[in-house]
Amino acid sequence: MSAVAANGLVKHFSPDIRAVDGIDLDIPEGQVFGFLGQNGSGKTTTVRMLTTLLRPTAGTARVGGIDVLADPDRVRKLVGVALQEVGLDDLQTGREQLSLQSRLFGISSGETRRRVDHLLEIVSLTDAADRPVKGYSGGMKRRLDLACALVHEPRIIFLDEPTTGLDPVTRDQVWRYVEELNRDGVTFFLTTQYLEEADRLCHDIAIMDRGKIVAKGSPAELKSSIGTDAITVLFASDDDAQRADSRIRQLPGIDSTALAGREVVAYLRNGASAVAGIVLALNDAGLTVSELRLAQATLDDAFLRATGHHLEVDKRVEVAAVAGGAA
Amino acid sequence: MTRFITTTWLLMARALREARRQPANDLGNAFIPLFFYAVTVGAVGGVAREAFGVDDYKGFQLPVALLQGAAGIAGGAGLALTQDIQSGYFEKLMLTSTPRFAIVLGRMLADAVKAFGLSILIIAMALAVGSGFETGPVGMLVLLVGTAAFALAYSGIGVAIALKTGSPQAAQAGFLIFFPLLFLAPTFAPIEVFATWLEVIARANPVTYLIEGQRSLITAGWEPAALAKGAAAIAGIVALTFTLTGLALRGRSR
Repeated sequence: MSAVAANGLVKHFSPDIRAVDGIDLDIPEGQVFGFLGQNGSGKTTTVRMLTTLLRPTAGTARVGGIDVLADPDRVRKLVGVALQEVGLDDLQTGREQLSLQSRLFGISSGETRRRVDHLLEIVSLTDAADRPVKGYSGGMKRRLDLACALVHEPRIIFLDEPTTGLDPVTRDQVWRYVEELNRDGVTFFLTTQYLEEADRLCHDIAIMDRGKIVAKGSPAELKSSIGTDAITVLFASDDDAQRADSRIRQLPGIDSTALAGREVVAYLRNGASAVAGIVLALNDAGLTVSELRLAQATLDDAFLRATGHHLEVDKRVEVAAVAGGAA
Repeated sequence: MTRFITTTWLLMARALREARRQPANDLGNAFIPLFFYAVTVGAVGGVAREAFGVDDYKGFQLPVALLQGAAGIAGGAGLALTQDIQSGYFEKLMLTSTPRFAIVLGRMLADAVKAFGLSILIIAMALAVGSGFETGPVGMLVLLVGTAAFALAYSGIGVAIALKTGSPQAAQAGFLIFFPLLFLAPTFAPIEVFATWLEVIARANPVTYLIEGQRSLITAGWEPAALAKGAAAIAGIVALTFTLTGLALRGRSR
């Protein structure tokens, strides 16, 4: 049985805003499934539909074999959810918060005490358990939020960008929890903007762009689908890059190319032997190369080919825009 | 049904725990009715008998103080709910298998419990300064339950607005609806001395029947007709605010 299955899932907030535009999913039990995409690509909206927080405009979705529209209450009992923004009550202590969450799932007070003590230990919050949450650091809040998602021992867990904004140590802790629980058979549906996270944790990945799934497969499959090596060539202008893209595509041995602004990425099997040919061909075409890099193809390359833009580059642009706006 | 009661109880306990941790929020709710009670009794009490035939003006004013206090407290549920919505905690609750209405009813009941406690304080203060109480301890209990029921009903306005808008400012504005209604009722003087136009408005105002029902317990004795009208007014407010809350909750749920 599929842990999560969706067919033609759509969410339109208005005729112009198609947050999710007809996606199909079939995630087997016991898998860590990653949803990779930029902000606004539709990842969170999908999670919200699958976890009963949002009604789909069209399509069907089943979680744990249960239709999310027909029986949302049974779906809620099956799934644990940690949304992107930690939803915690600052006035309660960590222990109170976990206990209340457990009792609201119908777990007895004795069993709740046992589970809360155990979870506090797992997320390293035993010492802070009786302090109000408002005094917790961002990492502590994220760990408590994760514990809240686990308290009713769900078999399917949705984590919406669980490590965004976390320091590397806490990020690694979260990854280890995911890996441990997955070893026990828990299915994870994980959204992320981090390629490293997707590469390390996920058995399968779907790349989402503008509400659609544009590529699917295991990290290895996605990387190998674009060739084993990637040669990135940077030019002085977008026009030069466009001309270079046409020229490089015609060269022998090139599997495919991707164009992103002033950058052209060529995917091929044996990059080292092709570098000289590419430089000569560009030189003959009167194009001046500003920079050239040879590397193994990464998930970012798969993302670039599927969406036409880098995940990492766009994040830098976003930061620059924010900084510019603040100034 | 058991599950609904259990989860409502757990969420009410959570709201009361939070209230205990922020006592300043409720100090104002206690101060304002006591202040107005003292000032109004001080200003009008001496002439009430000659002006409109009221012997026990301290008892006459007591329901006004109780309803003011209850209305002040009843604004808390909506405001607290907007904080839950803004922090994302409301969604965390929605992701549990808790019955939807229990999530808001727990908060509303917490306001009713707080209004019950504040009413004990207000009645004690009124008795201490010489107010009578014709129906004795049983009447006091009825009065306390009625005031708490009003707080429960009235908190639905702020909760419905909070669910609809998620805005603390809007939820607080909803709380202000009560004040025009309070002053368009026999608050300072019996309805019989009102100008005709004001009497017509007052007779259409449910707060009039709330005040008169409560007042009968304090100054007149057991008057079933006045109590029935007061209970009907509360039931009407409950029906209205719970319907609005249910609709707003449905809109936010899915």
